[in-house]
Amino acid sequence: MSATASSSTHSRPVARPEAKPGRTVRFRVKRCDGPGKPVRWETFAVKPEPGANIISCLQQIAASPVTVDGQKTTPVAWDSGCLEEVCGACTMVINGKTRQSCSCLIDEYAPNEGDEITLEPMSKFPVVRDLWVDRARLFDALKRVKAWVPIDGTYSLGAGPRESAEKSESRYVMSTCMSCGCCLEACPQYQLEENPDKWPASFIGAHAMNQARLFNEHATGAVLKGARLDTLMGEGGVNDCGNAQNCVQVCPKHIPLTESIATIGRSVTIHAIAKWFRG
Amino acid sequence: MPSFIEKNHFLLRRLHSLTGIVPIGVFLIAHLLTNSSIIWGGGALREGFDGAPFKDRGVAYFQEEVAWINTQVPHLLLIEVTLWVSLAFHAILGVYYARSGSANTDRYPYQGNWRYRVQRLSGYLGFLFIFYHVATLRWGWTFLIPGGTEWSFRYSASTLAAALHGSTTGLTTVGVVVSLFYFAGVSLLVFHFANGLWTAAITWGLTISKAAQRRWGYVCAGLGAALMLMAWMSLFGALAVKHDDARRIESQLHHKAAGLAPKAAEIADTN
Ligand code: SF4
Ligand code: SF4
Ligand code: FES
Repeated sequence: MSATASSSTHSRPVARPEAKPGRTVRFRVKRCDGPGKPVRWETFAVKPEPGANIISCLQQIAASPVTVDGQKTTPVAWDSGCLEEVCGACTMVINGKTRQSCSCLIDEYAPNEGDEITLEPMSKFPVVRDLWVDRARLFDALKRVKAWVPIDGTYSLGAGPRESAEKSESRYVMSTCMSCGCCLEACPQYQLEENPDKWPASFIGAHAMNQARLFNEHATGAVLKGARLDTLMGEGGVNDCGNAQNCVQVCPKHIPLTESIATIGRSVTIHAIAKWFRG
Repeated sequence: MPSFIEKNHFLLRRLHSLTGIVPIGVFLIAHLLTNSSIIWGGGALREGFDGAPFKDRGVAYFQEEVAWINTQVPHLLLIEVTLWVSLAFHAILGVYYARSGSANTDRYPYQGNWRYRVQRLSGYLGFLFIFYHVATLRWGWTFLIPGGTEWSFRYSASTLAAALHGSTTGLTTVGVVVSLFYFAGVSLLVFHFANGLWTAAITWGLTISKAAQRRWGYVCAGLGAALMLMAWMSLFGALAVKHDDARRIESQLHHKAAGLAPKAAEIADTN
């Protein structure tokens, strides 16, 4: 990984607290049966196994969905995929902060008897059910900035330009984005928007600007640089960023998002001036 | 309105950023430099006040600076109108933009996030302050000044002291309220400028790497600290001035300018 991955709120403490074996941990979960349905809070008691994470505790809850008040309820729904912090599907708000639940270890978060962990779905995406949200807008943003290398066509394009090791090295960290949405959840400029018609004018978010930079700096991907900058110049683009820099603090992949945003800012400045003179 | 803003999104955003620096920020620096001379001017020896106490020399320096600006600077009205148009533009668009954000410092209490929040808050409060400040001391809305003293560039220090004190005889309770409002207003505006200068460099793409952003952060913090010092000097300098003392010095200056002897000045002043 890159040396830029220096500061992160998720860096694990060197000396971890010793977790008490056989303890009971309480999970306070924000629940919702579906879009438009009312929100309620339910608390569950779980005896986590050694090395347990949030997902394995949610599995335990699903096996016997009874609240601490002895109320029988439905299993808590969540989304997950890789279970190794590379797909981003399991992102939720844990103790008030956004992060992946699969890599959230209970021994660290709740080492003592009676410790409580609060689980909420991300607030910037529509809830599908309980902790499961729909991140469609995040992927739509990637389409808007054409976050790909254009190689499709009716004939062979031949070999691409040579890439230097330095350049691919510098792009590597940008490419580790897993579209988890943490940077959007923590961003004060990114708001919940359920209406897809409004997505183009709403703030696009740090992840898309980072992907635009990644592909702008790719020798073949750079073919689409102008189109990407046109999108990012407009409403909802880079100018809507308020520079709170929360995104870079919460990105689990330590992507230098604020550097990507500034790079897009510079590209857009140059692009706009060039366009003004060129017509 | 929204469609106009949509169409000219980029231009308006960047003009919003630019107007904060030129002319508003540049004016802020000049304004605070002049006003703080009410204290540091005491160290800049001015002819005719060589033997006078430090405080008096500061008042004299300040008065001469203000009189110079109001009588010698060319196109003063044009400068003022430019500033007003820029301020109105920066403020109206600023409010429009700030409404698109939602503060979340409770969950993400990072320093940068706090600065983001205070930047918006200082924009709102700072604009209120500027409005009060200019309405009372420039446009002569004396009904908003406790004590009702009208500010005049010919008596810049004495009328300023009276406006802050709330009377010509000393600090009143309303005067304390006005002075606290000034303290909050100038402090927030200096922060707003220094922090805005830092974020503008990211917006325009001047500072890219984390290290560059940090270095530019030191520059902005240094400038902000210097301006903060000047802002507080201006305020406390004016608060420390007694109306009558300042009035005497100002009259002496008027007579000096008119070629009268200081003795005659004192006699003329008693009338
Ligand atoms: S940039 Fe980071 S926080 Fe944002 S989606 Fe990608 S991995 Fe997640
Ligand atoms: S720097 Fe921009 S994108 Fe990142 S959290 Fe702040 S406003 Fe959002
Ligand atoms: S399940 Fe893939 S990141 Fe957690």
